Amino acid sequence: MSKEKHMSRRIPFKVAALCGATALALAACGGPSSSEASSDGPIKVGIIADLTGGTGDVGTPYNEGMVDYIEWRNSEGGVEGRMLEADSNDYAYEVPKAEQLYKKYVSDGAAVIQGWGTGDTEALRGKVASDELPFMSGSLAEPLTDPADSPYNFVNVATYSDQMRIALKWIAEDAGGAAEVAVFHNDSPFGTAPVADGEAYIKDKNLDLGYEAYPMPATANFVGLLSQAKSQGAKYIVIQNVSSPAAQVAKDLKAQGLDMKIVCLNWCSDELFITTAGAEAADGTMMITSVSPPVTDKPGNADPAGFLESKGSTLEEKGLHYLQGWYTMHVMAEGIGAAIANGDDPTGPAIREALETMGPIDTGDVMGTPEFSKDSHRGSNSAGVYEVADGVMKTVEENVSP
Amino acid sequence: MATSTGLYHRTYRSELALRHTRAEYARLALMILGLVALPYLVNNYWLGIVNTILIAVVGAVGLNILTGFTGQISLGQGGFLAVGAYSSAIFSSRGGMPVVVSIILAVLLTAVVGAFFGLPALRLKGLYLAIATLASQEIIIFIARRWEWLTEGQGFISVPRLEVGAFKVERLTFEWQWYWILLVVAVISTLAARNLFRTGLGRAFMAVRDQDIAAEAIGVNLTHTKVLAFAVSSGFVGLAGALTAHYTETVTWERFTLEVSVTYLAMILVGGLGSIAGAVYGATFISLLPPLLTEFSDVVKDNLPFIAEQLPAIKNAAFGLIIIVFLIFEPRGLDRIWQRMKDYIRLWPFRY
Repeated sequence: MSKEKHMSRRIPFKVAALCGATALALAACGGPSSSEASSDGPIKVGIIADLTGGTGDVGTPYNEGMVDYIEWRNSEGGVEGRMLEADSNDYAYEVPKAEQLYKKYVSDGAAVIQGWGTGDTEALRGKVASDELPFMSGSLAEPLTDPADSPYNFVNVATYSDQMRIALKWIAEDAGGAAEVAVFHNDSPFGTAPVADGEAYIKDKNLDLGYEAYPMPATANFVGLLSQAKSQGAKYIVIQNVSSPAAQVAKDLKAQGLDMKIVCLNWCSDELFITTAGAEAADGTMMITSVSPPVTDKPGNADPAGFLESKGSTLEEKGLHYLQGWYTMHVMAEGIGAAIANGDDPTGPAIREALETMGPIDTGDVMGTPEFSKDSHRGSNSAGVYEVADGVMKTVEENVSP
Repeated sequence: MATSTGLYHRTYRSELALRHTRAEYARLALMILGLVALPYLVNNYWLGIVNTILIAVVGAVGLNILTGFTGQISLGQGGFLAVGAYSSAIFSSRGGMPVVVSIILAVLLTAVVGAFFGLPALRLKGLYLAIATLASQEIIIFIARRWEWLTEGQGFISVPRLEVGAFKVERLTFEWQWYWILLVVAVISTLAARNLFRTGLGRAFMAVRDQDIAAEAIGVNLTHTKVLAFAVSSGFVGLAGALTAHYTETVTWERFTLEVSVTYLAMILVGGLGSIAGAVYGATFISLLPPLLTEFSDVVKDNLPFIAEQLPAIKNAAFGLIIIVFLIFEPRGLDRIWQRMKDYIRLWPFRY
């Protein structure tokens, strides 16, 4: 490049004008149409999982349950003869990554999506509705149950708000009079989801309970938080967080020698909480969850237990949230099956229709019998109350409704 | 800046031209052709990623104006993005304003907020300023999380699908329509920023970066310049935030955390501090990294399951590794690498 010549200043404008015109002409032709998969090939299930992020401790067994369910179901002949194909990826509890994965699944022709967190499920809600993809998630936030707002989101079990109401109801009975309740929650949309609903429930039912919410800091020590709860005079701590930080609260509580009772909601009600906190600190903890722990020996335990045995593992090892993943995928698979049985292609709208009209779905008593309708995507509003004794979850009461 | 040998300017105008040589025009034409053809060559998924890159380009250009050109390090990027996103979403979906008006208002509001949080820059430099802007990040996100009226107690804001007059974004052509909108906005932002540094104000920014006392001695008003740098930069960032709001259709604070601020700093570091083209390269590179790693994990999943199991950890490590590699081997980033490649070809077979 030794010889250079000056170019007229007009050329770039000509180029730009030409390109602009081309772009407009192409734009006028309309964009590419998206390809919808419908054949006898496998039905794609896109899974957005948290394995390494802030909720990875319980996200991992939940995800294993989902992926294993699909493998098991396929080995049993699939859904109405059609295979399921899982595409599962970690999103590390980060909303933009969940969005990126979601778009990938949509372009890969996924028929349904299994999500995870509250923040990302809420962020994707609008897209899910306009893409017409049935979406279940680890999030049990109450706004997701309203089909007018979130037409393609389904919540299988009692929402966080319902679990909070059940917790408060149990506390009111247990206290038998006035008591102070401290709510320790994850500092995210997941954590705050049931906080306001709990307060409204106390007012509504005229319960004699004090109520104060504390966001849990991202530290490995909750002594400061506990001293705040102590000055509130709290006798009960409701925890809306995952198992690992909740177990730390139990340990700190034990170390401080405070007389408070922990009530865990869905995502800290599991064996991981007990093993992390140690049986001694965990004993006496109440757990509100819609999923029966493996120790309760429900009929629905047989399939996952058999599958795990063939893999050299056990259900006790995988725990309660493995079952929750397994049966959340089961409900979705049953919906897909019902859509095919109706004679439809398993497309989003057909699966949604099937889920809304198929009646109660059997989960072998593990996750109740979720049932959806056109007006409500709330699968159930009841949960079980369990108490940790000798390092094991003992049933106190099943099918409690707020 | 030397572009070519044997290139002599006879007028100021020709000297000021953005492009001087025929090769530069050829590359421009190629790039335009590529950008026009792109949406026809990739599927919706990749087009979606391209769209997020285009938004990141606007944000990274904004940050580079402040950090790369004016030398004021900022960890407040995520917060300023949030201001743009929340304000545009609230103006349009609750205030009922047309989207274009709400985006313009969001840009102006973010510029004002940016200028306000830029005030500490008048007294602080370097690491001290970094901590001050970190405070602005935390304050803005704290407000976004705690002021319930912002989201009407919901925790997030749903933004209706984009509609401007008779133009409407449709479901099937969502990414495709957004591509053209974002492309136009990104190109205009990039050109505006490129030209900013050929004006007196832009040169004042660079004078402040290179030596603020000397800049003051030659008549640059430091107060005015620094605050204005924060305002201009935040304006761009606010635009990126507003576009994020309308493109993703949901505004939640989780999208604007400190991690986002750090990611944007990584973009301009990898791309090249103090270079508009570098901001574009960096935004592209850093945004492409996660989806490419996902593709990679898809490929190795079947053949090398033991690697696939470790991939989430590898993904985190790869990000850090790339930044370290750039800092060691080419601190001036991708932009400088590209320049060197061009020099190599132009001067071949000679070294210089």
